[in-house]
Amino acid sequence: MIEQLKIDFDKIVGSLELSNVSLKFRKKNFNQFVENGFPNKRIEDWKFSDLNQIISSNIENLHFYSDLELSKPDETIFIDKFIHNKIVFINGIISNIDFSQEDETKVLLTRDLNQSENFKEVNPLVSLNNALTASYIRVTVKENYSLNKPLIIYNITTKDLKSTALNLKTDIVLEKNSSLKVINLFDDNSENNFMNIVQNFNIGQDAILQNYKIDHKKNSNIKYFYNNINLEKNSISENFIFSTGSKFIKNEINCNLKDEYSSAFINGILNLTNSQHHEIKTNINHLAENTKSYQLIKSVLNDNAKGIYQGKIYVDSKAQKTNGYQLSKALLLNENTEFNGKPELEIYADDVKCSHGATSGNLDEDAIFYLMSRGLSHQQSKELLINGFLMDAVEKITDEEIKDLIKNMIGITE
Amino acid sequence: MLQIKDLKAKIDNKEILKGLNLEIKPGEVHAIMGPNGSGKSTLSNVLSGKKGYTVSGNITYLNENLLDLEIEERAHKGIFLAFQYPLEIPGVNTNIFLKTSLNAIKKAKGEKELDAIEFLKLVKQKASELKFDEKILSRQLNVGFSGGEKKKNEILQMSILNPRLSILDETDSGLDIDALKIVSEGVNALRSKESSFLIITHYQRLLEYIKPDFVHVLINGKIVKSGGSELALELENKGYESLS
Repeated sequence: MIEQLKIDFDKIVGSLELSNVSLKFRKKNFNQFVENGFPNKRIEDWKFSDLNQIISSNIENLHFYSDLELSKPDETIFIDKFIHNKIVFINGIISNIDFSQEDETKVLLTRDLNQSENFKEVNPLVSLNNALTASYIRVTVKENYSLNKPLIIYNITTKDLKSTALNLKTDIVLEKNSSLKVINLFDDNSENNFMNIVQNFNIGQDAILQNYKIDHKKNSNIKYFYNNINLEKNSISENFIFSTGSKFIKNEINCNLKDEYSSAFINGILNLTNSQHHEIKTNINHLAENTKSYQLIKSVLNDNAKGIYQGKIYVDSKAQKTNGYQLSKALLLNENTEFNGKPELEIYADDVKCSHGATSGNLDEDAIFYLMSRGLSHQQSKELLINGFLMDAVEKITDEEIKDLIKNMIGITE
Repeated sequence: MLQIKDLKAKIDNKEILKGLNLEIKPGEVHAIMGPNGSGKSTLSNVLSGKKGYTVSGNITYLNENLLDLEIEERAHKGIFLAFQYPLEIPGVNTNIFLKTSLNAIKKAKGEKELDAIEFLKLVKQKASELKFDEKILSRQLNVGFSGGEKKKNEILQMSILNPRLSILDETDSGLDIDALKIVSEGVNALRSKESSFLIITHYQRLLEYIKPDFVHVLINGKIVKSGGSELALELENKGYESLS
């Protein structure tokens, strides 16, 4: 793999217009990845998801460079329930950008790779992304501007793309008192790809980000997401993860509550069947007084599926009056399923309110009896109970259109 | 309508019902009274098909062998159990549940299913008859309902589903006198030549409002005495001790 990686690195870097600083940065990150390779279970954060093993057993001949030409999106996959702005990635290349709903002096876009946010040595996958990213976009929302319509970032792959790693990067900057709703929507038609997607969010004072990730279509791809969220004073970040499509996903969210009265919400659903294996891993860093975080993760596991939630709340000694909360509930519908929950609280301040909880179990047989005694079939009763179980988390979505969209995808009707 | 012959039921190898016989004809209201642990709830569970019991004997319902029918098939054929402890179902809207239930039964009977508007009209009418605040129907099923609201919700379901045989398992427990009256009125409104009731209770109080045709005393898994509604009064005065 390393030989292929080196060839592909040269091809990718050669195809881009990079400054000397950028080139140096990429080489350094490349070497960091080569030294460490894909994370394996010997690393604490990866003990439930051995990515090295998952990639080698699912993808033969992984390569990192694709010479596929830009193709047009299949427009039938676009959401038609509401008007929205679009950024469309096809096979890792940006094919379409449409912000026609907005004041173009208020939403600034750049695709210059030399300007991307550069994370240092977070982990080998972020290093790999830093080294190989060929597609980049930054969206900056200017001060006091709220977008009229949501932004949907479509991530589409086509059948032509096989056994290729894609590295994508997006930066979202919300200036003071601005707001944005963004949906990352995946439409996978390819097989056995590894997608490594890094997104950074800088949320300015009084700004509001609503960030929804939808991975719904069943596919055989392996995905790693690294989201970094920086929150300034009195800003809000609402995140919802709907995780049900891919073979493997690890969703890693690092959230820095940097100034007073900022708050972060991370809610989500893992709804898995067959041998799907999805993980949510969060690091919430309370770094200032009066900051708030809330996390609710609901998982439904069927067949041989495996779900993981590792949630860490860190409270700095400066962060008095912190309010941190996390809850994970899992339904295991089959004895071959597995759920691993690892809550962690690391608290250095003395005047804080932090709590966590985790439950896992089967469907309540008495509840099934109750519903069946009203004429519902066993299957109908199960579905109603499972949807009811998931609704708790879905109800946390504050945008009604997007809530309805996700309800429809789950099959909840009203 | 319902003939029970020599019904025995075991759970975890413990025999609860020990040869119970009972016949209910269309239009009749039967009350079963008995002390704690006599098998009253087991009888209602076995009739509605709850799993986990080893059952022998015969139950014929509308000329079919009831024990061959699945839980939901019994509901489709008109058996309704008002639960002693209605379950809280988080995340499931009460109205949606009621509509799903009604339409599942209608579908099984080959009748036309109700659309949202027809359903809402029906539910409004039934709720107002039971003096049941409709707002509660847009909440999650039984979640955070008071004891009285849960029981009223059972009776509302009963009146919407319009069953042939209604089994009321200690519906009066936990009800104040006003709620007891409302629930009883709901039951009385459903009495007809075709529909029958099996009312399971500890106390005679409920039977002041719903007058039964027959009263049976269940002790230690068997009916030890049957009679008219006067038997309930006798029990209230003398207690179960005199019969065991």
